[in-house]
Amino acid sequence: MLSVVAPSAGLAARLAGFDPNVLDAGRRLAALDRFFSARSGREKPGRFWRVDLEAQVPAAASVDPSAGSVSIEGAAGRAVVCDLASAAREHAGLLSRVFGATAAGTTKFGALATAFAGTGAFVYLPPDCACDDPIVVRYAIPGGASVFPYTLVLAERGARATIVERLEAGAESFACGVTEIVTEESAGVTCASLQTAAPDATVLQTRAARPGRDARVSWAVAELGAGLAVTDVSVEIERPGAQAALTALFFPNGTQHVDVASTMRHDVGESASETIVKSAAVDRGQARYLGNIRIAHHAQGSDASLRDDALLLSSRAHIDSVPALEIAANDVKAYHGATVGALDADQIFYMESRGIGRTQAERMIALGFFEPAVERFPTEALREELRRALQSKLP
Amino acid sequence: MSTQPTAKGLRIAGLESSVADKPILRGIDLTVEPGKVHALMGPNGSGKSTLAFSLTGHPQYAVTAGSATLDGEDVLALSADKRAKAGLFLSFQYPAAIPGVKVANFLHAARQAVRPGSLPPAKFRALLLEKMELLGMDPAMMGRYLNDGFSGGEKKRLEMLQLAVLAPKYAILDETDSGLDVDALKAVGESIAALRASEEGRDTGFLIITHYPRILEYVTPDVVHVMIDGRIVMTGAAELAHRIEREGYDRIREAAGAIA
Repeated sequence: MLSVVAPSAGLAARLAGFDPNVLDAGRRLAALDRFFSARSGREKPGRFWRVDLEAQVPAAASVDPSAGSVSIEGAAGRAVVCDLASAAREHAGLLSRVFGATAAGTTKFGALATAFAGTGAFVYLPPDCACDDPIVVRYAIPGGASVFPYTLVLAERGARATIVERLEAGAESFACGVTEIVTEESAGVTCASLQTAAPDATVLQTRAARPGRDARVSWAVAELGAGLAVTDVSVEIERPGAQAALTALFFPNGTQHVDVASTMRHDVGESASETIVKSAAVDRGQARYLGNIRIAHHAQGSDASLRDDALLLSSRAHIDSVPALEIAANDVKAYHGATVGALDADQIFYMESRGIGRTQAERMIALGFFEPAVERFPTEALREELRRALQSKLP
Repeated sequence: MSTQPTAKGLRIAGLESSVADKPILRGIDLTVEPGKVHALMGPNGSGKSTLAFSLTGHPQYAVTAGSATLDGEDVLALSADKRAKAGLFLSFQYPAAIPGVKVANFLHAARQAVRPGSLPPAKFRALLLEKMELLGMDPAMMGRYLNDGFSGGEKKRLEMLQLAVLAPKYAILDETDSGLDVDALKAVGESIAALRASEEGRDTGFLIITHYPRILEYVTPDVVHVMIDGRIVMTGAAELAHRIEREGYDRIREAAGAIA
């Protein structure tokens, strides 16, 4: 006997199991509708890119509110660091200032993560609170499960912290998450994300930050695992003096697909953003990068730079790089530079001429290629971990 | 043990070489003996750098005839890295910048490749600092990316640092003196002299490629060769360098043409 249930009806039936304190049933259903009606914005196939993101829908049966787990370490003193359910019970007022405060929830996959928000973390930094050690948020997603990790960070005036998000997902799992950061004046938040899902997992992440006046927000995103990893990362600059940095590195190998989009949206002038993206692909790995800089017509004095380098390490690997600069203001500094290429023969020869064998030379050069991005990740331990992960992908 | 006498020296015989199917070297005969300094002079485009790249195994330079042996070993049969391991070194005229690879890591990898296991890390570091001081280099350079954003002088000093650290059997210096100010030139000259005075570098043979004799004021050549149009047209003692400085290459070309 065959039962035909529309994916929307099957998923809608799963909503009832999710914590109404975090989000009530009506808003969850509205978010799910948004997921099914919204387009990903990435329908257009690239030269090589053929993955249909519109078709990425979790199996209803795999959606279970208790499947995923989150552990949170670090932070002490006045900071509030807790899981999402506790935050909804005990800090509802604070939570409401950041939950849904960015455009993350309006995107296709952000809406899906909103509909099933439950497994998550909340970080609250009171005024002038400075956390020296990073706050580590670790999500563990078991094989076959569909989980929707939701991380929320609210930093008050002058507060400073570094957050390290880790996503570990088992075989054939489906993770669709959101990270939202809201800061008040002069705060500084760095959020580093490491995704190390199993090679056949699907991971869709939407990250958005809204820095306050004279505040600084840094994203550092490493998409290392998953068979399909889709990441949207953005900064909505709406207050003058804000500074935003965005670093992304990804390196599909085997048959991995990685799709990264970044957006720096300057809605106000006297603001600065810097985007650095380093990608490589080997074996039959494929990547696509969509780099957006948008400067509104009244955002005079904005200073935005986008640097995007792609390294192809095998003839069957592909990287599509699509920068898009929309600049409506006339008094801005905007820089864009992009390269796509193979390893440089002169660099290899230079190393060989010093006795370094070809394989070692190529590995050193390829690892070095990522280094300017790796160096922007917090803590030496994390950087070393990244280098090892990148090294393990090299031929 | 073999009693066969090994043919010491970097021995180049009848070497012909092409770049993109265009013949550049038209039969080079030249032998650099251990511990000797040969200067190879000639106008731009005469093939001096082609000789350097052909000997060190650059993939774009195809040796079409002739031989080159290093203390009896056929270097042309070796891959570029094995030529370096055999003891051949090239100071590049335009060294490649390799962003993301730190100078210290690169030097360590190179030293390990050429002289494996010869120095523990602490001693290696001490050796580097000593050589850097001699070259007037800022120790902070160790943490910079290889040649990335380096000035011309910094690049040449780093080439000389590699020469000092690797202490090869034979070193080809390709226009190491070009683009250097007097201080940098002096530092380079002193560094070469220090290597030649050291235990490791006492027997290093040099082939110094230059088109001005400036560097030869600091390192006196035993032999001077003049290359024009892919051939060595004249060979003489150190005085030949001064003659070139006085008379220019045109006179040499005429004189060589008259002989031919």
